[in-house]
Amino acid sequence: MATRAPRKAQPVDRLKDYPVDVDAGDLFRHAPPEVAAKWRMMAGGLNTLAQDSGLSAQELLARQIADMGMSFRMTGDAEERSWPLTPMPLIVGAQEWAKVEAGLVQRARLLEAVVGDIYGPQDLVREGHIPAAVVAGSRYFARAMSGVLPRRGHYIHVYAVDLARGPHGQWRVLGDRLRLANGVGYALENRLALSRGTGSLLSDIHARRLAGFFGQLRQGLSADCPRESPRIALLTPGRFNQSYPEQAHLARYLGFPLVEGRDLSVIDGKLYVRTIGGPKRVDALWRWIDTNSLDPLNFDARSTIGVPDLADCWAGGQVAMANWPGVEVVEAPAFAAFLPRLFQTLLGEDPLLPNVATWWCGGETEADLVRGRLDELMIAPAFGQRVEGLATVQPAHGAQLTPEAREALLAAMARRPMDYCAQEIINLSTTPALIEDRFEPRPFTLRAFVARGADGEWVVMPGGFARLSSSGKIASTLMGEGDLSADVCVVDEADEERFSRVTLTGAPSIRRDGGVLAAQAADNLFWFGRYGERAEMTVRVVRSILGGGIEVDAGASGHPEVRARLIELLANWGALGPDHGALSPAEACRAALVEHDLPGGVAALLNTQRNVGQSLRDRFAPDFWRIASRSLPALDSHRPGVLLRVARELIERFAALSGLGAEDMVRGPAWRFLDLGRRIERALSLCRIARQLEGAGEESDRLNTLLDIFDSQITYRSRYLSAPLRDPVYDLLLLDPDNPRSLVHQVQAIERHIAALPSLREDALPEAPLREVRAVLAPLVSLTVDQFDEPRMVEIEMRLNALSDSISARYFLQFDAAVAGRTPLQG
Amino acid sequence: MRYRIHHSTSLLYDSVVRLARLNLRLKPAPWPGQRVENFALKLDPPPAEIEAGDGPWIVHRHRVILREALSELSIESRFEIEVNEPAPAPEDAPDIASIRAAALALPDLSAMGPASYLFASPMAPPSAAIAEWAAPFFGPDQSVLAAGHALMGAIHAQFSYDGTATSVTTTAKDAFEQKRGVCQDFAHVMIVAARAHGIPAAYVSGYLRTLPPPGQPRLVGADAMHAWAALWCGQDIGWVGFDPTNDVLAGTDHIFVAMGRDYADIAPIDGVFMGGAGQRLSVSVDVEPVED
Repeated sequence: MATRAPRKAQPVDRLKDYPVDVDAGDLFRHAPPEVAAKWRMMAGGLNTLAQDSGLSAQELLARQIADMGMSFRMTGDAEERSWPLTPMPLIVGAQEWAKVEAGLVQRARLLEAVVGDIYGPQDLVREGHIPAAVVAGSRYFARAMSGVLPRRGHYIHVYAVDLARGPHGQWRVLGDRLRLANGVGYALENRLALSRGTGSLLSDIHARRLAGFFGQLRQGLSADCPRESPRIALLTPGRFNQSYPEQAHLARYLGFPLVEGRDLSVIDGKLYVRTIGGPKRVDALWRWIDTNSLDPLNFDARSTIGVPDLADCWAGGQVAMANWPGVEVVEAPAFAAFLPRLFQTLLGEDPLLPNVATWWCGGETEADLVRGRLDELMIAPAFGQRVEGLATVQPAHGAQLTPEAREALLAAMARRPMDYCAQEIINLSTTPALIEDRFEPRPFTLRAFVARGADGEWVVMPGGFARLSSSGKIASTLMGEGDLSADVCVVDEADEERFSRVTLTGAPSIRRDGGVLAAQAADNLFWFGRYGERAEMTVRVVRSILGGGIEVDAGASGHPEVRARLIELLANWGALGPDHGALSPAEACRAALVEHDLPGGVAALLNTQRNVGQSLRDRFAPDFWRIASRSLPALDSHRPGVLLRVARELIERFAALSGLGAEDMVRGPAWRFLDLGRRIERALSLCRIARQLEGAGEESDRLNTLLDIFDSQITYRSRYLSAPLRDPVYDLLLLDPDNPRSLVHQVQAIERHIAALPSLREDALPEAPLREVRAVLAPLVSLTVDQFDEPRMVEIEMRLNALSDSISARYFLQFDAAVAGRTPLQG
Repeated sequence: MRYRIHHSTSLLYDSVVRLARLNLRLKPAPWPGQRVENFALKLDPPPAEIEAGDGPWIVHRHRVILREALSELSIESRFEIEVNEPAPAPEDAPDIASIRAAALALPDLSAMGPASYLFASPMAPPSAAIAEWAAPFFGPDQSVLAAGHALMGAIHAQFSYDGTATSVTTTAKDAFEQKRGVCQDFAHVMIVAARAHGIPAAYVSGYLRTLPPPGQPRLVGADAMHAWAALWCGQDIGWVGFDPTNDVLAGTDHIFVAMGRDYADIAPIDGVFMGGAGQRLSVSVDVEPVED
């Protein structure tokens, strides 16, 4: 690998035509020769890739992004958007990066010291280095954290920082982020997509790898935990959060269980996650929740996403927190006015990486200065919250205010000067962005990431997340409308860096279990399975109504009465509305497939399944999720042929999902719950459909339909020469364990799953769900087909429903009955 | 003055709840001019754990855990308290401009310092409407005490006391729009108004001695907890209690329990329990003057 031959292809140097704009200062134009060569190599490589594949570099990357299921939301979005990644990374030479790196580490040390003082002795306030109002003004100042020390003295574990590069190549800090490291997951995803989409290009330019950083981050967290082999969880506000996809991706990549507050509980000052095997200790949380919402008993009592008494766990040293609650106080923009001087006060050093010059108007001299120079400055809320006189929380250019706005601002500032700060105006340097097939200069900002390693040392991610602005505006959100993101590659001259990193990780101890399965995740998996299976059964019924079976003379489901019964079943399942009587069979089928407002219709079921699946993103392979979240085929016709094609397409999709589940998922509890849901639903559907068809039309039509829905016609024909007769058909569909669609086959699978799940009993007696499934199984394995009459079928159905409840009661969370986005299955 | 206070709360849950964990902020925190004696807290059923300590504001907090399933809970607190006549307010207090500047300059981050009460808090977010309404009271040359009196008087005159118009979760802005509410709402409006003009303002919970109508006996248990606002009037004068519900300064009739940024910081009772039940709460408070 280290000795690959360089590419032979002669790339077209599209960077040759790249515009020169000396004023702006461009990352490529101003790069030293050896780094500029990497730019050309990358540009040429992208070009070659495009020529070889016949697709543009953007399209190549878009495919990777779609495959990985990368997405995001902007504030106000209902649906996730696909991720706008441009193929050309920012390329930064090792020398330039070394300076940035040193500056970031120094700043991390400073912030750590400032936070330690604010929640410790408060000398900085007492001695006048930081005004009390700057600390108290931050909504993230957590008074309750005063005097509460982290066990190993580490307040900060993950630190994100927005950087701007000026026209002369000088880097500056735009803002510090300690609350959420938004973007760290996207930096990872960008790199994955880029390296998958561009073959060996990134190795060819000697881009430093990111894996080492994440390894260090994980080790740094582990090292702060009270136990060896600790369990570290990522605490998410839930799937409705804007950065949920990022959190899920990080959790999956790092192997951390993704948990919500309601998955956790505090017992005797220790933190536990509720799993299907009972409560399990959690030793550290990477929190993606504000301090105020972490614990309703010790912070905001209205929080519903936190964990009561969590504060006791961290205060008692029983759980490590990344970051320590309250540290986000220093990310208020006003702090930037005081940090530069603190480098000397606290570290005795000069700052290596300046932050954007900032004036806090709470000081009289500063306020005067700002009033006098309003036109030359950006005015921003001092604490990141909306304030009077400014339209948004984004900095506003003083010169661009209308006279009225200016007057209103000055009046508001006179009353509450402490709510405002001013920043110098920064010009951003540009970077070549591949737009269509040309390179264009785009201004950029870079979010960099710093973490603590195993020995508490600071590690900077060799790269980061770049935002290429469409408007030239300074980034304060992660992504704005029309912006592009880009990977950031720190390049070495030679290839040495890479190999030394891998060894740092150390050998993990071997394990085979599937990790923690939180009760809530088990719940979601179970229902994911049930919704999917119900959707599949509905499609099968539709297909049968349309006559899609293999029967020669089945124009549609044989006898009209059989068809009418199936339509009635769809109505009972909520797949048709109360007025379905007016619909032709084809119209009814179309409605059952695509009408979103029918709660039991296929469209709604798949939608619900997808919603439930959102919270399982960290558990599904990308391929699986891609198929599961694919939208319904468009369908505007009532023509049976078209409907049938769609039904078949959907059935193939279900088959693909089952196949992936069967082939790719580790046989752990997660797979078992997914399969349990599916099996229970299939068993119930079988009973339900058999009962529904009882006595309808000609016996042969009825039985043919059953065989058709349950894919057993071929088996039946190979066994029996006769037309379908009740006992042989029922034996095949109910009692034959070798038929994978038979009732007994489902129940046996359910029994195996439950038997394999962890037990809470110490006396080794079977728990309730296991006893109940065995009760269902007993008649199926002991009776003969002629003993299966309708009452017995009804009883089995009842017992299966009871079994589903019993599984819920034993394995899932007990309160919170109304889980958001969950609709009951009807019928 | 000396008082005997008896405060009893009963909570009725619609169905059985488990693992109720509560914060009780019923014992008066240390405050100049007050001395608490014989504080006793009684819960029925009795809690599995109880722990007392100082909260992050000027507040005393009991944390209690009830492990057993319960559908009813009664919480009773009793204490005696000596309340001294506060020092008479000085004739000339600093003006608004100097209070504004002093609040920003004082290097004091403590829960008694002004900085902590200058900014928006969860139940008292800024409101442009309240800021504008209160502007006439806060001329830069106005003395802070005069401003406080004028603001308090305006709330008293323009707002109607109405126990049904608001709830414990009503914000200042909503109460302001309705111009009605209870002591909690009036205190919140006063706080938001003062902060809008750069004056540190805090929320105080406590008890109020109520005098029976002339010739009638004092009704036992007819009182409720009370709330008022405190304005920071400079380092020399410190915090002064303004009671907009009654248009008086807090004096010997006012018994201080806790001070925070707003109701949420020092709610007398809050907490969590397991179970999906709603709850009903009934409170009785008795403030009995004790003859020395």
